[in-house]
Amino acid sequence: MPIIVGLLVALVFVVGWIEYLTGFEISVSFLYFIPIIISTWVAGRSLGNMVALASAGVWLGADLLTGHAYGHWFVPLWNTLMLAGSFLVVVALLASLREANEGLEQTVARRNQSLQAENAQRRQVEEELRHSLDDVRQTHAELQRTQVQLIESAKMESLGRLATGVAHEMKNPLMTLSLGTDYFLLRKTENQEEARLVQDMKEAVHRASNVINVLLDYARPRPLQRTSEDIHSVIENSLTLVRHQLTKQHVTVVREFDTIPPPLSLDRTRIEQVFVNLFLNALQAMPPGGTLTVRTFTSHLSGSDSDAPAGVIVEVDDTGHGIMPQDADKLFEPFFTTKAPGQGTGLGLAIVRRIMEIHGGSIRLSNRNQGGARATLQFNIEPKDQQ
Amino acid sequence: MSTQRILVVDDEPSVTRNLKLTLETSGGYEVFTENDAGNALAAARASLPDLILLDVIMPGLDGGDVASKLRADPLLRDTPIIFLTALVSNKETDGHEMLTGTNTFLAKPVDIGELKKTVGEHIRR
Repeated sequence: MPIIVGLLVALVFVVGWIEYLTGFEISVSFLYFIPIIISTWVAGRSLGNMVALASAGVWLGADLLTGHAYGHWFVPLWNTLMLAGSFLVVVALLASLREANEGLEQTVARRNQSLQAENAQRRQVEEELRHSLDDVRQTHAELQRTQVQLIESAKMESLGRLATGVAHEMKNPLMTLSLGTDYFLLRKTENQEEARLVQDMKEAVHRASNVINVLLDYARPRPLQRTSEDIHSVIENSLTLVRHQLTKQHVTVVREFDTIPPPLSLDRTRIEQVFVNLFLNALQAMPPGGTLTVRTFTSHLSGSDSDAPAGVIVEVDDTGHGIMPQDADKLFEPFFTTKAPGQGTGLGLAIVRRIMEIHGGSIRLSNRNQGGARATLQFNIEPKDQQ
Repeated sequence: MSTQRILVVDDEPSVTRNLKLTLETSGGYEVFTENDAGNALAAARASLPDLILLDVIMPGLDGGDVASKLRADPLLRDTPIIFLTALVSNKETDGHEMLTGTNTFLAKPVDIGELKKTVGEHIRR
């Protein structure tokens, strides 16, 4: 600030000097407005007044130095006073303009500030709304899941009651038929046709009874008896159970096993039932032989940086005819079968899915790009009973 | 050696009739039958069987109730019981102390070979 004041005062003296040299040209006197305007605009009314008075003083000094002859001593003083008055009026006008401008800037700044505050508040409200919306969506999704589970559980409960009723009402007549056929079988008739007929009846009873047992198993699964198991050992045991059919159909087994999968909490017998069902389906899809590949790998928690394993994925691949597009949606439906009558109950895959579900896992069937079908089983490390 | 006696309790007459026929002709047992679970205790007291084949689900008293009454009778307390069940699941036996534990179950429809084998193993000598 002192530098600016010094420069302005110097400017005033420069103007005075020019005026002295030019012999008081009226146009030069206007040059005093430069330091006055600058000082008023930059520093305000006080400095403006000071520079205005200094300019009038310098003007008087320069006038006296040039030695103008005036009629009366009062004339130069009057001129100076008039000049000082006009300088002060300019300062007053300019200062008012400057103050009005500052006031306007302050108002704009205040408005800006309040607008920014309002914006921030609105953003916060928007954020809160977004959170609430997310919460509502999440709750809605959970409700839908619960609703599906409730419907499913009510469905299974009524199916369980139906299966129990059917079992009770069907097995007594079957028992009578079975005892009757056994009686005739024990009598050992000489007539081959009669013997064949009774044998067929015995097999029919067995088949009907088996369908009811499988239906009961599907509709009213026994409570799981979980133990900690090595999935590879469960797979190997299941392969042993179908070894005879594998050899008979010239099917090669390829194992692509994970190095050390985490142990899983599962009902070994039920999961062996899952694998045997899947292996038998694969075998039935490859009558001329082929390759059965069993692959395992550990899945990790998605979206997590940690390497904590979440579960184990098992893929069962065959090189058969694959899944027909028209069958894809019906594969897990109870009593849906593509096999010849008497070759299957149509409950195999329904039971497989049910067992996976009550273990808290899942199963998916798809066609492989290379041909053949793939069953993908997902097992969770944390047991989640869904029954 | 006197003929061993079996009492069959089942509400289905065709089942009791055919079990009687089969066990008598192919097993050499003397078979008594009862279709009313309410009369089972009286029938057992009258025949004093060496083994009882007992259906689980019957109208009125069920197999568990009948077994409890039989176990409470001093003359029948040690008579072996084989339960015949239409259900493969053990859930049917829930809540019945007499039906749980070491009792023997045969699932209907019973194969005659399996029935004769199980009866042979359990019948009081």
